[in-house]
Amino acid sequence: MSDPVSQIAQPPQIPQAEVTPVASELTPPPGRIRSLWRFWTREIFTGSEDRLFLFLAILIGIFSGLAVVCFRVAIEWTQFAVLGSTLAPTVPRVFLAPAIAGLGIAFLVMKVFPQSRGSGVNQTKAAVYVLNGYISFKTVIGKFIVCALAIGSGQSLGPEDPSLQIGAGIASAIGRSLKLSQKKIRLIAPVGAAAGLAAAFNAPISAVVFVIEEVIGTWSAGVLGAIVLAAVSSVVTMRYFLGPESLFRVPPIQIAHPAEFIAYAVLGLAGGAISLIFLKWIAYARPRIQKLPRWSKYLQPAAAGLLIGLVGIRLPQVMGAGYSVIDEALHGQFAWHLLLLLAVVKLLTTGISFLSGTPGGMFAPALFIGAMLGGSVGAMEHHFFPRLTVTIGTFALVGMGTFFAGFLRVPITSIFMVIELSGNYSAALPVMVSSLIAYFISRRFQAIPLFDMLTRQDGLILPSIEERREQVSLVVEDAMQPEMAIVAAPADTLAVLAARLGENAQGPILLRARVGEWRLLDPAEVRRLASDPLNTHTAGDIPSKGPLPMIFPDEVLEEVLRWAGDWPVLPVVNRGDLGKLEGVLALADILHAFRKASAE
Amino acid sequence: MAADSIGGVVGEHNTQADFWRKNVPSNRPREFVLIICFVLLLLMFSVTALVSRLYHMKIHTLADQWYAQGDAAFHAGDAKTAIVDYRNALVYSPNNSVFQLHLAQALVSAARFEEARSYLVNLLAESPGSGEINLELARISARQRAWLDAVRYYHSAIYGVWDADPLVQRWNVRKELCRFLLDRGDVAGAQPEVLALAQEVPPGDIQRQKEAAALLLRTGSWARALQDFQVILKQSRGDQDALVGAAIASYQLNKYAEALDYFEKLHRSTALDQNGEGMLQTARQVEMADPFRRGLSAAERATRAAAALAQARSRVSDCSRQHGEAISQTPPATDLQMLYATAQGMSKDWTEANLARHPDRIDPAMSLAFQMEDASAQQCGEPQNGTDRILWMLDRSREGVAQ
Repeated sequence: MSDPVSQIAQPPQIPQAEVTPVASELTPPPGRIRSLWRFWTREIFTGSEDRLFLFLAILIGIFSGLAVVCFRVAIEWTQFAVLGSTLAPTVPRVFLAPAIAGLGIAFLVMKVFPQSRGSGVNQTKAAVYVLNGYISFKTVIGKFIVCALAIGSGQSLGPEDPSLQIGAGIASAIGRSLKLSQKKIRLIAPVGAAAGLAAAFNAPISAVVFVIEEVIGTWSAGVLGAIVLAAVSSVVTMRYFLGPESLFRVPPIQIAHPAEFIAYAVLGLAGGAISLIFLKWIAYARPRIQKLPRWSKYLQPAAAGLLIGLVGIRLPQVMGAGYSVIDEALHGQFAWHLLLLLAVVKLLTTGISFLSGTPGGMFAPALFIGAMLGGSVGAMEHHFFPRLTVTIGTFALVGMGTFFAGFLRVPITSIFMVIELSGNYSAALPVMVSSLIAYFISRRFQAIPLFDMLTRQDGLILPSIEERREQVSLVVEDAMQPEMAIVAAPADTLAVLAARLGENAQGPILLRARVGEWRLLDPAEVRRLASDPLNTHTAGDIPSKGPLPMIFPDEVLEEVLRWAGDWPVLPVVNRGDLGKLEGVLALADILHAFRKASAE
Repeated sequence: MAADSIGGVVGEHNTQADFWRKNVPSNRPREFVLIICFVLLLLMFSVTALVSRLYHMKIHTLADQWYAQGDAAFHAGDAKTAIVDYRNALVYSPNNSVFQLHLAQALVSAARFEEARSYLVNLLAESPGSGEINLELARISARQRAWLDAVRYYHSAIYGVWDADPLVQRWNVRKELCRFLLDRGDVAGAQPEVLALAQEVPPGDIQRQKEAAALLLRTGSWARALQDFQVILKQSRGDQDALVGAAIASYQLNKYAEALDYFEKLHRSTALDQNGEGMLQTARQVEMADPFRRGLSAAERATRAAAALAQARSRVSDCSRQHGEAISQTPPATDLQMLYATAQGMSKDWTEANLARHPDRIDPAMSLAFQMEDASAQQCGEPQNGTDRILWMLDRSREGVAQ
């Protein structure tokens, strides 16, 4: 079984002809700058492309970090200019700013930067799977300008997903400029994506896990190192300019009693239900809005801005990314009814912003909704069970991961994200409980995850990482024939073998030449020689084919396919005893197993 | 496929990607491209440095501006506006513990205790020894009637770290703790704190000495309070607060003459509360009834002693009647009857004229009067008012003098 991503994720095969330089070649002549330059250029550029790739990962990380710093500053500056510096801007600003900015956004998206639409995650995936890693630099610029304007003017969207695409775009541009191989250019976009997301989140582990979990879908050693390097270098760069502080100040977390997990399970149920409602709404409304006449697309972001402005007059907290509001929720600054109201209203405003075609990310709104939902559920549980010792802030933190897992369907990322944001492993267990409940509820009632759903609505079928994650690979055990072969020892006489052949006319004869060496005997030849009564030869004396490649019952069938064509049968042996035959496997068995699995 | 969909974008991209594949020159060496990359990196680094520097300057300015506005509003008593301003300041400097502490204080002022507590608990996690944070938490706990938490936080504040004037700050916190305990009626809990407070008063600080002595009065530590007030009066003779305190302490120690002396030293303009006024009147009455007061003529002493004796006889008689017993019984059976019989027996010797002629009889006469008052108090309860009360207090006063 082969698909584009597995091809992408394969570690590149180093050509056999490549020669590793010997130690004397590695040492440049001292004192000669030209020699030094030649040495480095040879090492980095003309040596293995893998080495260059790792070097580029660092470079991409730094570029992405710098771009994300500028992006965040641009959002802030836009916000100062448009909404002012206060948490509660004046009514005219709140009412008019998102709408007027929406007109500008629509013009830019329709006329200047059409590729900057969407959140950025799907566009990056599409670049990886459809465009061979190509993301134009104009997209990067467009994403930067339009998203800064949108988020800064109060649209209910976040900067993380655009940062991911900005990073991917920078990486793609660098890869193209350096004329990397097609395979590497396809791989370099996810590297940039991880760098961009890591800098935006200030959370390198979560970014790496997200890119693995959602964009490339495999833990391939060939790309993992580059992704980690890029994420780390981008975060270091970002922290150099903006400081090491996390996006939120997370209060201390403590689990006092195992019964508290019931409370987190309730939160998981609520998070799963709300994320499902949000998913269903987007799934229903997006195709209908996309069918509206083209001229209406010039007005949609402005209309969304107007609605958000109206809401923002009473609830300015829902405007923009809302990090400071999440921070306040984490510190128990809101009553339960306000938390619940903010969760519901943020869900509505985020949906409106996203459906209007305004470019911007869904990460920050998902965290916002999760935090408010978690806080309100926690506060309600406190109301009914006053002896509950968990703080509302802890519920808000766990709620972030819960909604994230349910809505974006990235449970592993959500768990890592909460641990990384809180810096506390005590948070891991609660978030695992509630995130997995939310994830399973969401998956049970909404088969297709958000990002896959959006691409399918757009007419593209990109590989579903979730489907692949849950796909069970067929192994040799599923296809092998356990009792088909006749096992011969070298000392067995041909007469005995012929007699056994009579019992099992179809079976091949496998000769166990010695432990760990299996050979194939021709049954017709055995019969012919055995028919001569004067022939006293044993199985070890007659010609045989081999040695045969040994395979094990737990090996993946795709791996075994490469040998199956060369031999009529392959011996399936026990890992603990290489002389013990578990069964035999032929190409037909493999194909039969695949057919059977597809039918099921 | 919608025009604004990923599919549409992919179409445009595909065209661009194909164009790029066909048209980008392929002979450009990687070294050259990488040098360009480094130059761009340096350029971008410089731009980002400039941008972030401007951004940080703006952020700091905004944080300081909002904080200053918040402070102004808080000091003007507008806690609600202060909260909004402090929150704005925290948006631009989220980890600033000073901002957080001020926000928590504003939240406390606005009676939003839970929100304040949340901030303070976080701050406390960062600096568990902070006196200021512990004090705010103590105040919140006190307002929320979480007594044990309040005392715990007060103690943590007293033994905590203070940036400026630690001794003064700790003293003030202990004073607040004392008031908190006394307001709750926990006099036993307050006593050691007040004694420690009095002990820690910086020498020469009259204001604090007065505050400590006033708290000593509230805990009933009369002798120590009087001693402290006397120390204050030595330094500041006319201190009205100290005079009132000393008078009250003296009164409570049954030193009525001394109390009267302090009361009389007060300026006319110094108004006494109802309790103080009552003490003053009572002290005056005790002095008026005291036959042992210095400077009295023999006749006056005899008059007061004879009046006291008559009052005591009357009190014994009334008390005995209350119990349904005849006061004159032969032979006397009860203490009251015996005392009354003794008094009756001495009545001819202890007439006002005889006492005036024989001043040495005043002592035994008054002694008998006090015994009768004591016995009556034991049988019928302490006299609550009137001359009997004055006589009884005079007895206490004499006991005090004797001791």
